[in-house]
Amino acid sequence: MFTPKSYKTYIILLLMIILLQPGSLPAETVTDQVGRTFNVPENPGRIIALAPSITEIMYDLGQEKRLVGVTQYSTYPPEAESLPRVGSYVRLDIEKIVALQPDLCLAIKDGNPKHIVDKLVNLGIPVYVVNPRNLKQIMDVVTRLGSLLNAEQKAKELVLDMEKRIGQVQSRVKKGARRPRVFFQIDAEPLFSAGTNTFIHELIEMAGGINTTAGEVAYPRFSWEDIIVLQPEIVLISSMAGGLPPEYLLKSWQKWSMLSAVKNGRIYVVDAELFDRPTPRLVDGLEVIAAIIHPELFIKSDKRD
Amino acid sequence: MSIGKTIAFTTLLLCAVLIFISVVAISAGSSGIHFWEIMKTLTGKSVTDSATATIIWQIRIPRVILAASVGGTLALGGLVFQALLRNPLAEPYILGISGGSAIGAILAMLIGLSFFPGVALFSFGGSLLVLAFVTTLAGTALGNTMLSRDSLLLGGVMMNAFCAAVIMFLISMTRSFQVQHILYWLMGDLSSLQGGQLAILILVIPCFAVIFIMARPMNLLLLGRETAAAMGINVKNTILLLLIITSLMVSIIVSLSGLVGFVGLVIPHIFRSIFGPDHRVLVPACILGGASYLIVCDLLARILPSSGEMPVGIITALIGAPLFIILLLRGRS
Amino acid sequence: MQILDTENISLIFRDKLVLENISFSVTAGEFFVIIGPNGAGKTSLLKVLAGLQKTQHGSVTIKNRNITKYRRRNLSQIMAIVPQHIEVGFPFTVADTVIMGRTPHLGILGMEGKEDYLRAREAMEFTEVAHLAERKLYQLSGGELQRVIIARAICQQPEIILLDEPTTALDPAHQLKIMDLMEKFRREKGTTIIMVSHDLNLASMYGDRLLLLKEGRVVETGAPKSVLNKELLEESYGCRMMVDESPLGQAARVTPIPDKYLQNYE
Repeated sequence: MFTPKSYKTYIILLLMIILLQPGSLPAETVTDQVGRTFNVPENPGRIIALAPSITEIMYDLGQEKRLVGVTQYSTYPPEAESLPRVGSYVRLDIEKIVALQPDLCLAIKDGNPKHIVDKLVNLGIPVYVVNPRNLKQIMDVVTRLGSLLNAEQKAKELVLDMEKRIGQVQSRVKKGARRPRVFFQIDAEPLFSAGTNTFIHELIEMAGGINTTAGEVAYPRFSWEDIIVLQPEIVLISSMAGGLPPEYLLKSWQKWSMLSAVKNGRIYVVDAELFDRPTPRLVDGLEVIAAIIHPELFIKSDKRD
Repeated sequence: MSIGKTIAFTTLLLCAVLIFISVVAISAGSSGIHFWEIMKTLTGKSVTDSATATIIWQIRIPRVILAASVGGTLALGGLVFQALLRNPLAEPYILGISGGSAIGAILAMLIGLSFFPGVALFSFGGSLLVLAFVTTLAGTALGNTMLSRDSLLLGGVMMNAFCAAVIMFLISMTRSFQVQHILYWLMGDLSSLQGGQLAILILVIPCFAVIFIMARPMNLLLLGRETAAAMGINVKNTILLLLIITSLMVSIIVSLSGLVGFVGLVIPHIFRSIFGPDHRVLVPACILGGASYLIVCDLLARILPSSGEMPVGIITALIGAPLFIILLLRGRS
Repeated sequence: MQILDTENISLIFRDKLVLENISFSVTAGEFFVIIGPNGAGKTSLLKVLAGLQKTQHGSVTIKNRNITKYRRRNLSQIMAIVPQHIEVGFPFTVADTVIMGRTPHLGILGMEGKEDYLRAREAMEFTEVAHLAERKLYQLSGGELQRVIIARAICQQPEIILLDEPTTALDPAHQLKIMDLMEKFRREKGTTIIMVSHDLNLASMYGDRLLLLKEGRVVETGAPKSVLNKELLEESYGCRMMVDESPLGQAARVTPIPDKYLQNYE
């Protein structure tokens, strides 16, 4: 998608655009999370968040007043529902974006179409791109956005909180005896799970489990036959899998009584929202998984059945 | 009315229609209607706010130009192939262009190339490869005469079928988010092209001119190759030239817009039923009429959905298919 | 003068020897009819004469110039062809079709001018299809369609008209009409008519000279009376023939004899 070579051109292009613009507002030079360097306004007041996760983080930082537009599925927190929509994050509506006259756009590499980002840059709108691939990078995003939005203090607090909670989970897990085999179902009919290069994998491993579907493919498809071979002891099902109701999802596993997860009734539906967006809520997800995997180590209640 | 006058009249009329439709399309979009801004800009008093000006000049106008070029090229391509193959059901993808370009585009998307120039180049290359294959096949193995229309048709159908199978295989190998990209390309979608890349479209204009010059030979080709030859047409050269120019022009357009369907099939029919079968009138009619038609379809694709936009190919199919059925039924009576 | 000459033409098509060693000449202004059984190669010969089919051997000369030396366009100003079948798939009108005959005389972007429309009108009146000018081709009967194609050929202002079995699918009245048209055209404009025909009697009554073709070879050329010889015909066509003088006078009459009449005849 983004090729490193093109960025050199963009630096030059952007510098040219910025230098040629008459009387620009006070600006500072920044480097975003994918390595692009460019100017942004010091105090951006009209920001468009091009992904629901970014919207969330802005509310977490308390900077929602700067937001003038969000993408279609920005449903958390509920207050975001009232903001103007600019299309979905994979099909951005460039006219709506430009019409809102933003002074900064926040984009996410995995999902936003590159040609729209390029178009925005060509039209003189700075676009700050993030690309969080793991928890640490999410915390980095929080820190970066904090600095961009003059909310460094709040960002620091958020990151510290995340680190503390992650630290708690990790230290308790270390005391645990063994690591059970975990299968996380993301989608149904057909069934999809999560490979190594995903947040879910990171959370499972951090929570003291073994991700049975670790591997090169990020979202591999599975047949029931493959799953039986994997012998999962714990099954976690995303509440959004296939758009099907939780009872149905749970039932679809019941017929495989030879699996230890079924025998011991360790099949759980978990709130999808805690697992599919690269935001601080992933730490909530981590805590949920940890409580399920090692109930004896955690007092937090899990979402059972 | 003499033929010269008919051509002039038709061209002027359709030009007026095209201009009108273009203005409407430039004034409308997902961010609202800006008709008066357009008028003001056109009459020189351009004091609109910069966001609107940007939207109009950098987003909508390039988009309308692209839609016009795609529509004109596909309609003309359909017209030429219907004449070459003496078959009113022919359309510009019939010789394998759709299969070849799709495979090229999908491969490029799987590798992760950006839309321009990566996907476009691969798509163009794929199209040419398949065309070369079909014409070689048609020239030697299949028909008794060089490039006989039956062997061309047969070769084209075979290649498209084979390519369809390959495409299905490639799609099964993709990850879910890529599938949407591929689907949109296969349906025909004008949203991926940047303003600066429009320069490529200039290439189709000389193709239009050449085809217009070949309009009379096209009339004669419809009478059969021997009759055409007996009336002084160099049949082999005419067919070859038309084939190459039209395939090139359609391949260029497909590499930029994906497989927009039903334009090349329906527009020539409509104009043939209005203006008659003389290609000297039909060539400009299809270019201008096809352009107008696609601008309208793309406008609908942009404003109908409540958020975002849909691929223009959906609109052309939804309008084109019933239109075509109506034309066929009326033609019967 | 000899407007058309052929010398030792041989044609192999799909591994079959279709024409073998054919030589003959046609005089300008002549009504020349090629006859022969099915599969004799008559249509192939016509295509060769029209320059639409290249031969492996031999030459065709038009107006003392080898046919291969002519450019397509110049050849079509001299020679017009009326084929046996034409396609009516596209909705051209009679007027559209006839005026296409003017193509060889127009330039590259040539638009038809007043004179072209005039000639087309004349041609349609000559063949009596003027009243059908705005009709679509697929709305015409066989005879009308044939006359439209002839009108188109006339528009080309050719010196030679080649016709491939123009009367085969027509009723007697229309057959006569077509033949009379050709005769009239020949007489008034001095055009050479070269026609392939199945109808031996029409060939006899109208032809100046005939050519009898069998299995790709010339059996006989000459005046109808000498070509329409009982022995030659019976041998070429492979059936019993009666040849006598037509009661209408001046022409030979050929009657193929069915088996059941044979005893009367013998």
